[in-house]
Amino acid sequence: MLYDKIKTIYPQLTIADFAPATGTIMLQNDSDGKGDYIAKWEHPTFPRPTDEELA
Amino acid sequence: MSIVLVGSTSGSVTLQEPAVAGTTVLTLPAVSGTVITTGSSGGVSQAMLATGVAGTGPAFLAYQTTVQSVANATVVKINFDTEVFDTNNNFDTSNGRFTPTVAGYYQINLTISLQMVGNSLGMLFKNGAHYLGAVTTGIAGISNSLGTQSCVVSMNGSTDYLEGYVYQGTGGAVNSNNDSKFMQFSGSLIRSA
Repeated sequence: MLYDKIKTIYPQLTIADFAPATGTIMLQNDSDGKGDYIAKWEHPTFPRPTDEELA
Repeated sequence: MSIVLVGSTSGSVTLQEPAVAGTTVLTLPAVSGTVITTGSSGGVSQAMLATGVAGTGPAFLAYQTTVQSVANATVVKINFDTEVFDTNNNFDTSNGRFTPTVAGYYQINLTISLQMVGNSLGMLFKNGAHYLGAVTTGIAGISNSLGTQSCVVSMNGSTDYLEGYVYQGTGGAVNSNNDSKFMQFSGSLIRSA
């Protein structure tokens, strides 16, 4: 799962960081067979993981 | 006896009395306009309906029959794979999307239930963006969260579409309560544009 991969890269992140509306990160899955993806990444300190890091 | 109005260039209009006994009075309105008949190709539009007359705008009700896994900390689109009714064929069960072809204001209802302890979040998306969110509340002693959100949404009748999403943060994936009573998406036109 994408969430687990991101947590491995940034263990400091909490579930609050991923909360819709209030969090700075939003993971999304449109149930179209393409899987989870990062819909929003606005974290103030951690940069968005690269595709290589998430592979 | 019939009355025939001959057109100034071609054609004619015939007023024919009914083939029944008695007297029938036909009163025309004291305003200019077109008289709608059963033979009118366009029919009576929504705009011509009087106050208090229900229209025949789109209405749909869909629910989920196949259980769906909802990943942790991820906003997941809900599959609504079965229709109870879809009067204007505006709901697509292949992608869970409602795209009404009549412009106006729609009453929308989204009921979500997950097999989990605690709260989750049901989310209505319009055109791919979060439009409305509401907590689906966990019930003490029952491993289910359940909640309904309702709102009125303006739709343009061409490109606007609605979808249902859900979010949960239990730490692992959870399943939906795939049932017509617990996973339901419905809506109807309540006012024309």
